[in-house]
Amino acid sequence: MPVTTRRRLLAGSAAALALPAFARAQSEAKPRITAISQWSAGSDGAAISALGKVFEERGGIWQHNPVPGFTTEMMNKLRAQIIAGDPPAISQLKGPEIAAWSKIAPTVDISPLVKAAGYAEKVPAELAKSCQPGGHWIALPLQVYRINTLFMSTRGMQRAGITKAPTSWAEFNDTAEKMKAAGMIPLANGGIRYDDGMKFEIALAGISPDVYRRAIMQLDTDALKGREVLAAFEQLRKFSNVMNPNIAAQPWAVNLPAFVKGDMGMVLMGGWAQGNLLKAGATVADFSSGPAPQETGPPCFDLNADCFIFWQPKGADLEAGQKLFAEIVMQTATQEMYSKITGSIPARTDVNLSAEGFSDGQRNSAQNLRDAIAQDRVVLSLGHNMAQPNGMTAAMIDVLTEYVHNSAIPAAEGQKKLVEAVASAQ
Amino acid sequence: MSPALQARGANAGRRRAAGVWRRRLGAALTQLAIWVPLLVAAGNVVVFTLWTTWISFTASKLMPDYSWVGLRNYWAVTRTANFQIAYGNLVIFGLGYVLLTMALGLLLAILLDQRVRGENVLRTIFLYPLAVSFVVTGTVWSWLLNPGLGVQKLVQDLGWVDFRFDWLVQSDKAIYTLILAGVWQAAGFAMALFLAGLRSVDGDLIKAAQIDGAGPLRIYRSVLLPTIWPIFVTVFVILLQWAIKAFDLVRALTGGGPGISTMLPTLVVYDFMFQRGELGRGSAAAVLMLLSLVVVLAPYGIYVRWRKQRQARA
Repeated sequence: MPVTTRRRLLAGSAAALALPAFARAQSEAKPRITAISQWSAGSDGAAISALGKVFEERGGIWQHNPVPGFTTEMMNKLRAQIIAGDPPAISQLKGPEIAAWSKIAPTVDISPLVKAAGYAEKVPAELAKSCQPGGHWIALPLQVYRINTLFMSTRGMQRAGITKAPTSWAEFNDTAEKMKAAGMIPLANGGIRYDDGMKFEIALAGISPDVYRRAIMQLDTDALKGREVLAAFEQLRKFSNVMNPNIAAQPWAVNLPAFVKGDMGMVLMGGWAQGNLLKAGATVADFSSGPAPQETGPPCFDLNADCFIFWQPKGADLEAGQKLFAEIVMQTATQEMYSKITGSIPARTDVNLSAEGFSDGQRNSAQNLRDAIAQDRVVLSLGHNMAQPNGMTAAMIDVLTEYVHNSAIPAAEGQKKLVEAVASAQ
Repeated sequence: MSPALQARGANAGRRRAAGVWRRRLGAALTQLAIWVPLLVAAGNVVVFTLWTTWISFTASKLMPDYSWVGLRNYWAVTRTANFQIAYGNLVIFGLGYVLLTMALGLLLAILLDQRVRGENVLRTIFLYPLAVSFVVTGTVWSWLLNPGLGVQKLVQDLGWVDFRFDWLVQSDKAIYTLILAGVWQAAGFAMALFLAGLRSVDGDLIKAAQIDGAGPLRIYRSVLLPTIWPIFVTVFVILLQWAIKAFDLVRALTGGGPGISTMLPTLVVYDFMFQRGELGRGSAAAVLMLLSLVVVLAPYGIYVRWRKQRQARA
């Protein structure tokens, strides 16, 4: 039996006291990152885990804290940590919320890193603007989705005798009538608020991206009262007349089996629907996708993107971690890997998507983005909190979702309510 | 006196003083043990209520911000369509839920009161829905009431092709599905209270009525129900405050939809606070909810007081 001498005891306690300091010294040498996101499961969860692995391979310590559920639940966690004075080094945030949140806690200016990587010129200008609310970069975009995407069911097209996807709203309405006559439900939909908001934004962006920019992104009253917005309300009514009437509070994805079978014809949804379809057992032959109908000119790009905001860290290890993380996120290889998993397109517009692992839908979407940037036809999504802060978005979607579900409201009244909602939320 | 004796006397005095102190300390500790938890328990309710009220008068958005804006948040909130629809719904839902639950509960209680066989089993069955959480109730009813999956489809598949029961997806009828699910859940609870009341009535009273030649209907109407009148008030108040704070049921069953047609005050508070990042307006909506609870509970408090005074006088 070992004898506990006073000397041994002293040596032991000295070692115990020194241990934390030793550990701290070691981790100072190692870049560390703390992160909050809502990506816990499915392809999103897989993608961020893969990103964490890359971070670890480059010698970092990855501490990701996913908050499952809606984005707002993730934000509640973020709020709690900020109030406690302990924000994570990075967190998922996007659109005007980056500007709003950057006012309540100090962020890091990562402009030098962005400049060194030459990243600013590579991402869409609208997106770059939302990441530098005070004139310098505090957030980095990672991936982009096209919202105005139309998915066509292959079997549904055969059943209704349709050979090509509609490219204008008139054609879309014709197609829907044909599908209805064939005994199908033409347009798959979900019963959750953002779904209704999204249908409106797709209609308006398809009618005129310029008016969309003025009415939805700049809240210009004249544009909101204009005939294009009225036309979008009329088109929204046409959507609601050809949707599944039996959808209550269910998510849109419950329709996917019927869509693949050809009992439903079309889905208007962001690019991630492709991932959902493939995961639900569909093959690429079961559906086709492309830009949603566009009235005049080439298709616009209704953009949704995921970004990370960089909070002021405490400790040299976190600072080093942020630097390393920024470097990794801006790299082409990282964004390629990420988009292959989630079905998005990279935030970098110079990535070549002809490589294996990308789908035709992603290639089409990426080309669409490049063209839209060249022609200044990129707009930011309303339904996905890119165009307006959450409070304004919610006020507008209240009107839109009420309009979709109550066919007694005429288009002109819907428009009037939207104008009022915008005024009272300002 | 010898020095030794003197010392002993001093010691005794000290001991006596120590005993007094110990007793005082003991009493103080007892008081402390009673009051600290009481004050903490009461304080966290009062303090946070006051804090919420204060925030409702400030310009708080994502975070508390203590610049005073007066009643602006209240004006903004009460002017939204959400808020107006929510309070209209609260009246429909509150009345429908409370009155139907009481009626059904009373009916079940009277039926069970007839000393039927298997009373215990039936009572358990009727009480069972109360053991199911509102989220589960809402989710299950959302499938049952869905026209494409639930009751409507079942009846249509049985051959009645024209049968329609699609309240859940009708903007003007969806609120009644909330009443339906709510009544299903709470009727057993009302029954249990009414039954306990009926059983507590003195048997001699009933016998006296029987001797006077009253039939069963008359006994219930003129003897039993008036005697258990306080139970009606209790059930009414409990159900009404359940109705006002209903949140999970509507969130799971309709999500506030179709559109915003089944909004309730609780959903409005949650929406402003946690989805729109408008702490000031959300707090204003919360304070208004508190006030509506006061409106309901104050008459009850006055009634209880009035009864006590009357009993004291009698």
